[in-house]
Amino acid sequence: MSSEPIERRVSYLGDRLRASRCQSCNKEYFEVRDYCSNCGRKSFGKMDSIDLFYDKGKLELCTFVNEPTNKFAKLSSFVYGIVSFHDGKIRVPARLTDQLICDADKIDLSSLEGREVVPRFRRRYSVGKSDVVPTISLAFTLADEYYPHQQYNVVSPSKECEVPGVVGYGVYTSRFRIKEGGMERAIPFIDEDAVTAAVEAGKLALIHSGVDSKLVGKVYVGSESNPYAVKPIAAKVAQVLKLGEEDGDVQCVDAIETEFACKAASSMFKDACSLVNYPRSGVDYAMVIGTDNAQAAPRGCPGGELDTFVGYGGAAFIFGKNDVIAQVEGWYSCTSDTPDFWRRDGESFPMHGGRFTGDPAYFKHVRKSTSKLMQRFSLKASDLSYFVTHQPNPQFPVRMAKELGFKDEQYLPSLMINKFGNTYSGCSPTGLAAVLDIAKPEELILVSSYGSGAGSDAYLLRTTSQLVDKRKSQKVNVKFQAENPFVEYVDYTTYRRLKLGM
Amino acid sequence: MQNRPVIVAVGRTKFGEHYGKEPEKLIEEAWLTASNECNMERKDLEACYMSDCFLPITNKLGLEEGFLSELTELHVPMEVTRSFSAALLTACHAIQAGVYNTVLVGGIEKMTDRWDKIRDDLMLLEDPWSYYAGGTPESNHELMLRAYIKKHNIAGENLDKLNVALAQVSVKSHANATKNKYAQYQKAITIDQVLNARKTARKSLGLFDFAPISDGASALILTNEEASKKLCGNPVYVLSCASATDYLNYAAREDLSRFVAAEIAMKNATHIANTALSDIQVIEISDQSTVMELVSLEDLGFTEPGTAWKSIYESYLNNRNFYEVNGRQLFVNTNGGLKADGNPFGASGGAQIFEIYQQLKGQACERQVNLGNGSPKKGCVLEFEGFGTKAYVTLLGEKKD
Repeated sequence: MSSEPIERRVSYLGDRLRASRCQSCNKEYFEVRDYCSNCGRKSFGKMDSIDLFYDKGKLELCTFVNEPTNKFAKLSSFVYGIVSFHDGKIRVPARLTDQLICDADKIDLSSLEGREVVPRFRRRYSVGKSDVVPTISLAFTLADEYYPHQQYNVVSPSKECEVPGVVGYGVYTSRFRIKEGGMERAIPFIDEDAVTAAVEAGKLALIHSGVDSKLVGKVYVGSESNPYAVKPIAAKVAQVLKLGEEDGDVQCVDAIETEFACKAASSMFKDACSLVNYPRSGVDYAMVIGTDNAQAAPRGCPGGELDTFVGYGGAAFIFGKNDVIAQVEGWYSCTSDTPDFWRRDGESFPMHGGRFTGDPAYFKHVRKSTSKLMQRFSLKASDLSYFVTHQPNPQFPVRMAKELGFKDEQYLPSLMINKFGNTYSGCSPTGLAAVLDIAKPEELILVSSYGSGAGSDAYLLRTTSQLVDKRKSQKVNVKFQAENPFVEYVDYTTYRRLKLGM
Repeated sequence: MQNRPVIVAVGRTKFGEHYGKEPEKLIEEAWLTASNECNMERKDLEACYMSDCFLPITNKLGLEEGFLSELTELHVPMEVTRSFSAALLTACHAIQAGVYNTVLVGGIEKMTDRWDKIRDDLMLLEDPWSYYAGGTPESNHELMLRAYIKKHNIAGENLDKLNVALAQVSVKSHANATKNKYAQYQKAITIDQVLNARKTARKSLGLFDFAPISDGASALILTNEEASKKLCGNPVYVLSCASATDYLNYAAREDLSRFVAAEIAMKNATHIANTALSDIQVIEISDQSTVMELVSLEDLGFTEPGTAWKSIYESYLNNRNFYEVNGRQLFVNTNGGLKADGNPFGASGGAQIFEIYQQLKGQACERQVNLGNGSPKKGCVLEFEGFGTKAYVTLLGEKKD
């Protein structure tokens, strides 16, 4: 049993690492305070709210935990210590995460002390299946490893476009991978899930776009692996990323969950565009996140055929009309009631229609949305610079692209299935991000998502000159994560353990 | 001065695993030993001050006073605190104020009933944010050791000596416990055992560096000087009780290498008692870990900051059961300390007082400290609640003029 009020208070402070600073003496506190104990009564109302969410800290002291308390038992062993921020003005207890400790003798605690660390939003510890999922950002990773520290600088917009489009994006995948055959797939660390990936992706998108988070008026989170049957990931994202105006402890933002297998997020691109384009919406920016710890039954079990392809990650796109990097020119959607992949309520893993998922499902819908959109804009395959589609396995997107007349150089740059696996709702958005990472201004990109069940949304995007300008504000792009030297490969047993999580 | 609080009798149970006993059975045993010693009747008690840290959590017992009332068939005022020292401090204040003449101070804990979750509860109570970040009851001790080593630039050969000194703390405590029939571990250990346990754990501190999880109870009868005459010929005087408080969250404290609360409490206690440190020969320190004994020697002022390990290391070299500081002998945790005597939180402080009481009265049998001119004259008890969040210092001694 967990206490909802305690959970709310700990998460509110701990997820964002909220802190306070006294305006007169500059003393800082890791808590929300109305006054400074040092300055007393006269400091009432003179405290600045700060937070450490985008900061980097220093690991001051550490020790090795190999007999954790019950709730941390699934982590087996980890490095625990004290992290300081702002030259020691604030010190917090800390757990180093993203470390699989196989040989404790190799851990040199004194070499870790003094290293820079980045706070990471993670699951706090294990709880019962019916409990609230506890989270916290007192988990840290080393800043000079897989995930570097990046500042979040708000940039005031310089150019308003007539046509709305993408103003920034972020893709997050974990540092753990399984390599089988020619394929690598991302695996969550044991304290990661669809919620943590959504927050990470959104954080990276804000950093990339330079958009002030309080101007984001709506956030859509599409997922099929939400740890809750009922309770939105979007609420967590909105609170942690401070989307919309902050009023007390409430964010003035519309946050909503969407679900349509792997097109849950991409389907909302047009809704986000329409919303920011509606003159009276009052919404400057809308964020769309696709996130999944893609579910698959273990091999040999019903639905286990998916186990070869599933990945982990999230992709976030911010839409608006200012400083657009890729205008959304148009779209085409189609849907039919086709049961090619599904998961009944209460089941842990989805079922899969086998051969039925191909021609009557994936190919039929992607073909239709893509060709109809090209028809509408009188485009030939050769008019487009890039073609991106959903990647449920390494073969389908290639066959689809070839059939539609695309050449290798048009579709290969978007193929991330061999690097991250199928990240379900994050899949085609990740492919789009990979293309935006390398595209030049004034290029046409066609992205066609696919969601089992079944449907497809095809979008036509035209890149702008700002695409190149904004690129320098994002170090953690798709390639950075795909080819990161700190990626750690694990075996099948570890993969299943990590995937099941805390 | 009137109404000086004096201890006329002490009692306790064996510490350890009392699977077969209800918590109230333990406090009954401790209280009966104490009352038997001074030959007093329960009806003479005017109030009870009890301590337990976990009972409401481990045994789902609230209102512990109620079962004590049932046990004693008394309807006198009863209060519950978290530690024995806190109970004693409150009781002393009542005696000094002249409110009561004779009171019972008792402590109890039943930790092994919840082996399954005691470490989680302990950590959550001690420091919730450390717990949320993955801290264990052991990890903050290890961090404090790291902070101590860094602050005092201890490296190379000195670091090796420090590590042996910490092992010696445990070896000495276990040796003392072999002479204590109430102790949880009446078994001698070697330096190598302590060092090997660290190697097995792959950590700076191992199994033998930490106090165990225990059940047990302790009790004493506190009266004013006048009332003591009927019960005891030579009572032990509570010269002073003092306490100090520090932040709950260890990480947020200014100095991570020591316990500032212990220093403050000790300064206040010696000031109230008008006692010099050099008059104190026997000390009971809350050694939840060997590091705690080390830093507490410094926090209490017996050794200079950054040097306690040298005195301890000397005692190892010379195979002594005391530490020599500036030519004086310091006898620390002669009962085996929390490490070997046991650590049932609410009762631990009672066992510390129990030991100093016996030492001052020359009743410690095989463990008796003899300084050449007889039994020690003054003793000191340091007890903590949490990881240095509360520090209580109690000074005991002969009649003070």
